Amino acid sequence: MRLADARALVPDLVTAPGEPQADERLIETIAGWCDRYTPWVAIDPLGGALAEEGVEACSAGGFGGDAGLLLDVTGCAHLFGHDEAGERALLADLVARLTRHDFTCRAAMADTAGAAWALARYAERQADLFCPRHGQRDALASLPVEGLRLDAPILETFVKLGLRRIGDLYPMPRAPLARRFGDLPLTRLDQALGARDEVLEPRRAVPAFRTRLSFVEPIGRPEDIAAATSRLLAALCRQFEQAGVGARRLEIALYRVDGSVDRTAIGTSRPNRDNPKLMKLFEEKLGELDPGFGVELMILAAPEVEAWSGTQDVLPEAGALALSLGSDGTIDLADRLALRLGAENVVRLLPRDSHLPERVQVAVAVSSKPAANGAWRRLAGLKGARPTRLLQRPEPVEVTAFVPDDPPSVFHWHRHAHRIVRADGPERIADEWWRPRPDGSRPPANTVPPVRDYYRVEDDDGGRFWLFRDGPYKLAANGQPTARWFLHGFCA
Amino acid sequence: MSVISPSAFAPAASRTQAANDAAASAPTSLREKIRRLERAHSIQHAGKTAVPLGLPAIDALLPEGGLLTGALHEVEAGPSPSGRVAAHDGAALGFAAHLMGRFAARTPGTLLWCRRPSGVFDAPPYAPALAASFDPARLLMVTARRDEDVFWAMEEGLRCPGIAAVLGETRAADATSGRRLSLAAEKSGVPALLLRPQPAPPQSVCVTRWRIASAPSRSTPGLHDVGAARWRLDLRRNRFGAPSIAEIPSWLVEWNDETHCLAVVPETLHGSPGALFEERLFEERMVGPRLAS
Repeated sequence: MRLADARALVPDLVTAPGEPQADERLIETIAGWCDRYTPWVAIDPLGGALAEEGVEACSAGGFGGDAGLLLDVTGCAHLFGHDEAGERALLADLVARLTRHDFTCRAAMADTAGAAWALARYAERQADLFCPRHGQRDALASLPVEGLRLDAPILETFVKLGLRRIGDLYPMPRAPLARRFGDLPLTRLDQALGARDEVLEPRRAVPAFRTRLSFVEPIGRPEDIAAATSRLLAALCRQFEQAGVGARRLEIALYRVDGSVDRTAIGTSRPNRDNPKLMKLFEEKLGELDPGFGVELMILAAPEVEAWSGTQDVLPEAGALALSLGSDGTIDLADRLALRLGAENVVRLLPRDSHLPERVQVAVAVSSKPAANGAWRRLAGLKGARPTRLLQRPEPVEVTAFVPDDPPSVFHWHRHAHRIVRADGPERIADEWWRPRPDGSRPPANTVPPVRDYYRVEDDDGGRFWLFRDGPYKLAANGQPTARWFLHGFCA
Repeated sequence: MSVISPSAFAPAASRTQAANDAAASAPTSLREKIRRLERAHSIQHAGKTAVPLGLPAIDALLPEGGLLTGALHEVEAGPSPSGRVAAHDGAALGFAAHLMGRFAARTPGTLLWCRRPSGVFDAPPYAPALAASFDPARLLMVTARRDEDVFWAMEEGLRCPGIAAVLGETRAADATSGRRLSLAAEKSGVPALLLRPQPAPPQSVCVTRWRIASAPSRSTPGLHDVGAARWRLDLRRNRFGAPSIAEIPSWLVEWNDETHCLAVVPETLHGSPGALFEERLFEERMVGPRLAS
């Protein structure tokens, strides 16, 4: 129906432009909030699909009217009570809390995702929303076939054939049904009844290790949050010990009373389950968390864990250095620094066998294997005199040289003329033709690779520089031999 | 003379005793308090151990014959011989690396190097050159976007037991951060170095402050090649050290690229006749009979 037609029928119709992206964000937020019940939360893909097909034009509610969330609460309901009572309590709690946040929702619980999907949408009585264990066959029998999550053409044919209720399908012979409609209706039916498995893909990776702490009264003071974190951490570290793992990454989530969730994470360079050390890392981050109007639930999860091997995880060839790194707290220091400054800003330097000066030193993460003993010294011994500082990007300089192949007599840098009195060189460094260029292309065959001629020069003021000429002199348009010169480093 | 109950009044003798005790304890506690206030200024707390520079002429001036560990030292790039602002601080970096090397040789452990990149013309220290002073594999390189983060990282490093020495490269250092650093260094005994690419307004917290300027290298007659690197080394602050004749002791040192060590160049070869005499006096006092003979 067009908007104009709808307005003609109902003059005081309230309309608002659709905002699919905002809807999507909202459903994501609600899904994040649902993490409080179970880590296994999936956004119903069918809700979105139906919305795209244009159902939203008719439906009244928010986010497409048909959006849904699927929660796998297996093993989670015991937090609310025993067996069925717990499950009922969980469902009631979920609906009550969502209603308190002014969302209109219908939630159903059943043994299978398919049955719960159908019940939440098509159950007529409130009491039917909770399907007791193994009761889905009876519960679904009276529901319309739309509850089977089928495509519109199949549904239309069903209705034409008089198959209006799901129960009508039960006595049908399976083979003709499959021949006529394909595999889908039987698959959906089996999935709803629990005869076939259905895999729900959780929205976020489900961490294997996770602890939660809920509060009777919402908390908000930083000290309280720190204390709660400490307790969660202690419980999680016990889990780690039992499983023989250590955390590489920990994530803490604060579920606030207004339904929003605030998260922060810490990372470590190697598997860690040392409670005080992890707590120290968290102390850096807890300040960033905003408790808002109060926090009613905190969940600490370890999305990344690695097998814990204590302090003996040093490879023999890594040498005594790594051993000292691990045992004396340097790794912990590096973790703390990386947490605040970013992991890419806390690095170790490794030597690389290369002729190009800028490629010789490479920055690696602290956790990677350190350079072998004496590797740097060997490398430095092979090279000539090197500058103490190397410019990240060589600086073009203007140079005056009397004879083309001589070191320059004057160079201009930063609007200052440096008169050169002494010079060493040239040291010719050719491009590494066997390596692809930065843009990925290979240098063409049978060409002379570009070369640089490096000079170590000293100006009349005692300053020492490292200059290079990019390639040999060429004849410019005016007949003068010219070459490009660069400043690449500062010598001691 | 009536004697009242001893419980009501303490005997005269014991009373004076107590008064004496109080009188004695008050100054002691006060002294203790003052000493605690002055912690950073007392050599006892700055660490008795010192790492010699390996240059007898300079070590003789320094407290305990070298650079105190557990203290803050500053290295700044000085103006070039002609008085211009130096084009770069390569020489100061070389000297700072040499000091790091001396500290690294004393204790095993990681060397923490914190720096703030200086924009487009950023030139990070180059490990193949640092390898002359210490093994760059021991280096933990930290880059921070703000000066506060540089100081924070340095302080964290100074508190870490596995760190052999900490160096911070920064243009800005105020008295507060300098004081925090020296307190942290004093507490852990880990030496802290500040490398400044430009001479900064003096702060009075460091134990030694060095100003390094590159000087013309050793020239070989008839050749125009760059000889061994030479630096003008000024000891601009020398706390707890021996007094020297010159107001600011200054040396010309030479870096030997093959043996990786520093040597003081006798300046009598360079000085003008007026300066010559003073220099000789100074050298005689420093080096003694070796030069005198």
